[in-house]
Amino acid sequence: MSPVVAAGRRPLPVGLTRSRKTKDRVFTFFLLVCVALALIPLVVIAVFVIVRGTGAINTNFFTKLPPGPLDARHTGGISNAIVGSGMIVWLAVVISVPLGMATAVYLSEYGRGRIATIVRFTANTLLATPSIIAGLVIAATVVTWTHSFSAYAGSLALSILMWPVVTRATEEVLRLVPQDLREGALALGVPRWKVVLKIVIPTAGSGIVTGVMLAISRGLGETAAILLTALGNSFMNTAYGRPTSTITLDIYTWARQPQATLQELAWGGAITLMTTVLVLSITARIVSIRRQRRLA
Amino acid sequence: MVGVTVTTGILLVGVLGVVLAVLATGGASTFSKFGLGFLTSTRWDPPHQEFGALPFVFGTLVTSFVALALSVPVAVGLAVLLNEPISMRITGPLATFIDVLAAIPSVVFGLVGLFVIAPWLEQHVEPVLHTVVGWIPVVGSLFPVLARNEQGRIVGAGGDYFVAGVVLAIMILPIVTALSREVVATVPRELREGAKALGATRYEMVRLAVLPYSAQGIAGAAFLGLGRALGETIAVSMVIGGGSSLGASLFAPGQSIASAIASQFNGATNPLQRSSLLALGVILVALSFGLAALSKWFVGRGMRRMDVSSADPVDPGPTQQVTAEAA
Amino acid sequence: MKTRRRAVVAGIVSLAVISAACSSKSSTSTGGTASTTNNGVPLTGAGSTFAAPIYTQWAKDFNAVESGAQINYQPIGSGGGIDAITKQTADFGASDAPLQTDALSAMPADVVQIPTVLGGLAIAYNLPGLSAPLNLDGATAADIFQGTITTWNDPAIAKLNAGVTLPNSPIRVAHRSDDSGSTFVFTSYLSSQSASFKKTVGADSTVQWPVGAGKDGSDGVAGYLVATEGSVGYVSYDYAVSNNLGSAAVKASDGSFVAPSVDSISAAGSDLKFPIAPDTNVLNSSTPGAYPIATTTYVIVYKSQSDQAKGQTLVDFLHWGLTTGQDTASSLNYAPLPSSIATQALAALATVTSNGQPITPSSGA
Repeated sequence: MSPVVAAGRRPLPVGLTRSRKTKDRVFTFFLLVCVALALIPLVVIAVFVIVRGTGAINTNFFTKLPPGPLDARHTGGISNAIVGSGMIVWLAVVISVPLGMATAVYLSEYGRGRIATIVRFTANTLLATPSIIAGLVIAATVVTWTHSFSAYAGSLALSILMWPVVTRATEEVLRLVPQDLREGALALGVPRWKVVLKIVIPTAGSGIVTGVMLAISRGLGETAAILLTALGNSFMNTAYGRPTSTITLDIYTWARQPQATLQELAWGGAITLMTTVLVLSITARIVSIRRQRRLA
Repeated sequence: MVGVTVTTGILLVGVLGVVLAVLATGGASTFSKFGLGFLTSTRWDPPHQEFGALPFVFGTLVTSFVALALSVPVAVGLAVLLNEPISMRITGPLATFIDVLAAIPSVVFGLVGLFVIAPWLEQHVEPVLHTVVGWIPVVGSLFPVLARNEQGRIVGAGGDYFVAGVVLAIMILPIVTALSREVVATVPRELREGAKALGATRYEMVRLAVLPYSAQGIAGAAFLGLGRALGETIAVSMVIGGGSSLGASLFAPGQSIASAIASQFNGATNPLQRSSLLALGVILVALSFGLAALSKWFVGRGMRRMDVSSADPVDPGPTQQVTAEAA
Repeated sequence: MKTRRRAVVAGIVSLAVISAACSSKSSTSTGGTASTTNNGVPLTGAGSTFAAPIYTQWAKDFNAVESGAQINYQPIGSGGGIDAITKQTADFGASDAPLQTDALSAMPADVVQIPTVLGGLAIAYNLPGLSAPLNLDGATAADIFQGTITTWNDPAIAKLNAGVTLPNSPIRVAHRSDDSGSTFVFTSYLSSQSASFKKTVGADSTVQWPVGAGKDGSDGVAGYLVATEGSVGYVSYDYAVSNNLGSAAVKASDGSFVAPSVDSISAAGSDLKFPIAPDTNVLNSSTPGAYPIATTTYVIVYKSQSDQAKGQTLVDFLHWGLTTGQDTASSLNYAPLPSSIATQALAALATVTSNGQPITPSSGA
């Protein structure tokens, strides 16, 4: 009995009646509306960020510090925020990528039984953690104990968020490595750790790179975690122990200022950030598509 | 090797433990002082040491539900469309565009929301909504009339629950769509094609074959989106208007839990206020984790029903979920 | 595979090189002003949004004087500033209101409150097409912010503005949602002018406002005012001017309506009394032509500085601000301290010590 009839509805009338046709047309219209609703916001965002953002970009934007209240328009920039974003995300990557990969290796290669279940559950839970919580926790601990807002506090908060991301992405890629590869190597007497290090991971290689790029992408787009930990800085800062600005933080602060000078810097920051994030995402995608083609 | 990797796994568990411990111990003094009253009181008054979470819980729930109401139907529509045997030249780019939407940082959503979306909604959409549904007895009071100035322009509040809900809807659309798409993809082809072979229209096939079977999975996708919407901080704080009181309608300004923490923590002067903000964090975390668990359970049930065996219920790939979570 | 790993390593290395290169780039300095003998170290200050423009400008200008002194000022509200200095997460705090008794007792060590500039709290409004500046008195303002007066052409407002056509539109009130010295000053003023305001709302750095939208920071309120016609709120006079908002002329004790301006704010300054006590204020000054809602803004530092280098930079910065920096005040719509007050402020600064020795400003600061 066809599932259509078995669904408990009364059988469809024979023939394509008018009402059936109309309902179907309305439905198709609804589907098209859905497509429009999905695309319009993207187009709006892209247009405004590009139009207002490019209006703010000049050499000063990348080389100068933020303007003071008496400075003219187009004379200031976000050089300190660019460096700050780089610093904070870089340290977060250094912390979370090795840890994330190691956790993924554990879950994929060695993890059986209770500990693995708990670890996997933790990774999924942390993945669902709102970023403000990560910032809040680090602010209540590290920032309070050291009496200082700092770049490394920001990196720590980011690491909490990025670690499970790297783990999840890496684990998925490791799982896709064919089991025969492992078994063949083990049968040949290669020790387990060597199998993982020299065979499994390299095979997963570009997939892991994709995962790392996505984690970096997320880290660069972070604001809430940085807000409570790194505070922000109107000067250039390269010391990890001091308050630092990031592009996201500056966009957040300046968007809410009434001065046009600062608002346009916010748009400039937005287009810089979006370009970077998109380049990373697209590269990650290309790498992963190439990979799938190779493995297919 | 085992030793090293196990250690990192345990370290991860330790991190989660620290997160929960810090929130719990920090919020303890608030919960012990106000008890459950913290959740029901609407008075947030730092100088008088009165703290009630209800305005923020309300703000979070209202904006998230608006976001769900708007994005789930669209996500389901997209999921259905993306699973139709239409040429890849359409579905490919469409899927890519949705992915791009997922990659946009939260602060950029806030920026565009503040300068473009909020004014447009306040001037053009909210009055229309009032005209259309404002007369309905109970529900209509959520869509009140908006004050106009002499020139007839709406006097905006600089953001409100509705605007925040709309912005959130756009932000969670990619993730709900991605998961719904995977759920709908597991409807066996025989079912779909069988329906078509019997002469069902696309609408009938979806209504009778696809939706009943993916309903639970889609619910799971919705819960996942809800969990994301709850925790969203930056974009929401830029378009929700601000203030510590319970908004009287959808067009009133307010705060969500996350945006309240973000705007108050750095300036929290007294220990009880600090503790209350951490207590808010406890509530937020409880809601987020609870919803993530619910989501997994529903998606798992949806999958199992389809007889698709998988030890781990399907989650959207790294591209979707991880880039979508930057807030 | 090897090439990919190399690419990743190369990427990390280049990032490190870039950050190292950027650190050697010095911050932009303005012209050749005289330098001090001290190089200076980076400092963090936090607090009042009211004073943010002047401190930010001073930070930039002072960086040219002491190139190592990067004064990072974060405007998080007076309450945040007091909290930051109490918890020592900042090197100095900034507040528009003097420390109250409970805040004073929460300080782990003795602090000095140093007034830096005079400012005015403008009752700013967005009423395009108003033929003349708005006149208000304390009682009417209190009613507006309490929500008992709700439209612009209310008789109470019209009475004060004879001959001016007021629009028949709702008043949209904006107030601060964060812990704010500006709120403290403004509510203190309104409480002194209206018994009902004092009873219903009271004077504090955060209060339960009966009406209005709550915004973070003076900039948040200003942003709302700029975007919302028919709105009114209290912001630092500087924000009102730079955003082309109207500032109401407030009725002074002698009956005349005084609009905020550098001169009228300055006139109120002579009322400032040392030592700074919890109720110190320059509201309702009896000096003719003085703006009734003027206030000093304070920098809060620890009397005994544990870090010698930081203490030296701090003293240099504040000394510079109280002397050379006063010239910038008026271009930013603040008023410089009257010389008698500045002298007393400098004397207060001189009590700051490190390792038991008073810190003297480096020559040239």
